[in-house]
Amino acid sequence: MMRMRRTLGGPAAAAAIMSLIVAPAFAQRPAGHYAAGRAVYRKWCAPCHDPGITHPGTHALMTKYKGVKSGVLLEWTDLPASTVKYMVRHGILLMPPFRKTEITDQELDALARFLSRNTPGGR
Amino acid sequence: MRVPPGVSAGDFAAAIAAFERIVGKDWVFTSDDDLNLYRDAYSPYLNEPEERIASAAVAPTTTEEVQEIVRVANRYKIPIYPISTGRNLGYGGAAPAYSGSVVVDLKRMNRILEVNERHAYALVEPGVSYFDLYNYIQEHKLKVWIDCPDPGWGSPVGNSIDRGGGYTNANFRNHFDSHCGMEVVLPDGELLRTGMGAIPNSQTWQAYKTGCGPWVDGIFSQSNYGVVTKMGFWLMPQPEAYMRCTVRAPRFSDLGPLVDTLSYLENSRITTGFPDLSSPLLSYPPIGQIQLWNENGPPKLSDEHIKLLADVKQGYSAELEAYGVKEGIPYWELWLSFYGPMEVIEASWRATQRHYGKIDGVQFRVVDKLNLPIDPSTAEKYHEPELGVPSLRIFSIGARTPWNPTPSHGHMWFSPIIPRTAEAIIEANRVFSEAARDLGMPLFKTFTLPACFWERSFVFILATPVTEDPATNKRYREGFKKLIEVGGKHGWGEYRTAPAFQKTVMDQYSYNNHALQRFHETLKDAIDPNGIMSPGRYAIWPKSLRGVQS
Ligand SMILES: Cc1cc2nc3c(=O)[nH]c(=O)nc-3n(C[C@H](O)[C@H](O)[C@H](O)COP(=O)(O)OP(=O)(O)OC[C@H]3O[C@@H](n4cnc5c(N)ncnc54)[C@H](O)[C@@H]3O)c2cc1C
Repeated sequence: MMRMRRTLGGPAAAAAIMSLIVAPAFAQRPAGHYAAGRAVYRKWCAPCHDPGITHPGTHALMTKYKGVKSGVLLEWTDLPASTVKYMVRHGILLMPPFRKTEITDQELDALARFLSRNTPGGR
Repeated sequence: MRVPPGVSAGDFAAAIAAFERIVGKDWVFTSDDDLNLYRDAYSPYLNEPEERIASAAVAPTTTEEVQEIVRVANRYKIPIYPISTGRNLGYGGAAPAYSGSVVVDLKRMNRILEVNERHAYALVEPGVSYFDLYNYIQEHKLKVWIDCPDPGWGSPVGNSIDRGGGYTNANFRNHFDSHCGMEVVLPDGELLRTGMGAIPNSQTWQAYKTGCGPWVDGIFSQSNYGVVTKMGFWLMPQPEAYMRCTVRAPRFSDLGPLVDTLSYLENSRITTGFPDLSSPLLSYPPIGQIQLWNENGPPKLSDEHIKLLADVKQGYSAELEAYGVKEGIPYWELWLSFYGPMEVIEASWRATQRHYGKIDGVQFRVVDKLNLPIDPSTAEKYHEPELGVPSLRIFSIGARTPWNPTPSHGHMWFSPIIPRTAEAIIEANRVFSEAARDLGMPLFKTFTLPACFWERSFVFILATPVTEDPATNKRYREGFKKLIEVGGKHGWGEYRTAPAFQKTVMDQYSYNNHALQRFHETLKDAIDPNGIMSPGRYAIWPKSLRGVQS
């Protein structure tokens, strides 16, 4: 019943460094494959996570990773779909979780596919 | 499966099955994982046994489904708790006031029923967010503005029912005041329309607020007398121009004339935008600049300035004042916004300057002067809500930034209403800073300036952090209650609060042996004899739980 909120620890930092070495594997998908996920991103994530410090999620991640990796989720190459799903349903620090009436499981799948598109083996 | 207190497992299972028949299995939630999504992410009881937890959630899409849900709740005596967008962070989130209630999540009732440009109003369902309404207006190129709170993901219905506030003209900033007409499912499942909406085939539901006879709309805000399923809101016709200006005053004692003149100008409708008090000398930002300060860091101060700040007592220091006069740093800076045709705005600003001319050494500046509409992509140059644009940028408060290495997990807003005078600002600072110090709550730096959301009063808002440490949260929680009581002793009361504090707050409204509270209870018993509707919200308990719950 307890929902403990966690910060991403060592493994994420290690993955961040890995991502500098491993070239991003841009998945070859037909145009439109990510449209649904992108739409969910635009509606629910972009206000806090689009590029630039006027987006508090981005600013927080920039501050956290201090240039080791980008603060912009869209640019991440070490963001597995499972992490996207976990964050959306658990929240972290000031980011609250999102209910299924806001982002359905199906929409979350699409979002996770979209945000993990540049992550090797990210599914 | 969790079961509401006092309800048998069998009855609850029957109720859940009935809910599933009404909305479909996919939209009834009973697993712990799903119900965790209804927890208040900023709960002052985070991860403690007292944290408010739902026993189920049910998400209808129509008013008829809401009526059926309410009837089922009556049949099995199940406490239910309606939410609209459920983003009431800082005031309770999506969690019910009474643990074990079934949340009725209206997010899927998300139809914008009408946006009327000619008469500047909207009629919406509860799940419509400020972002949704704004986007709809943009897509349809309608020349009307919304008035939104800082976070754009809340809803006109949910926010106004909790009597929230926004940032454009005075007659729109008070969101409950700017509503016109409601549709409500009463606790027995009956459907009610208020104001002119009570006339079948009404032609003026969103045009005249009160209809005839007692005006009951107010009792459906901050209460538990029904589920609001539609609400009308007056919108501002898109103004032709916008101007943001400031009035700078050099001395501490100028706060009095600054505030009194503001009251005159506002009450006379000479200035109508969101007035925003700040102190460059005390390094205290106006609300409209908080996000910029969080993003870019607070303005750099000289070493001498920083040293002088350390000796400020209750906002005042003669040395600091002298330093400000020498360096041209004003003690106070009042930000004013104007909307309308440019020639009207300019005339209002001229009159404003004339009235402030009596302050010795006063300075004026025009910060922004815009012809509207602006290109939405440039809105981020401003405090977006002041231009009617929703955003989530305010979540920089407490977030990790280079200037805030220790991000918080949320905050609870302490927000008493105090008189609109300089004396009250100074007195509230003295009273609350002394109390906060004694309670070990780090709420004050040097001085706090109140928010001017509403005409004729101030809101003295203090953000109390929520942490991951239960012992710290307990101290803040108890301190928060003490602050409420201290305020009450001075004749000040909260305008709104989270369920954890609703009893303490309502206890301050005790005139004539709690006559108001007793009247709320009389209404509750008459309207909701089974006590199923949002038990405990704003400390209104049904008979069966009265005195048992706090
Ligand atoms: C950083 C930050 C800044 C904020 N700034 C502002 C601000 O500028 N102005 C402001 O007003 N608030 C502000 N808030 C507080 C809050 O986030 C907003 O007020 C928000 O709009 C409230 O959530 P909501 O609109 O989703 O309402 P909901 O959570 O849907 O509703 C609030 C409550 O009203 C009742 N209710 C809702 N809908 C119904 C219904 N249909 N029938 C019966 N009862 C109902 C329920 O008890 C519910 O818990 C801020 C919060 C944070 C964290």
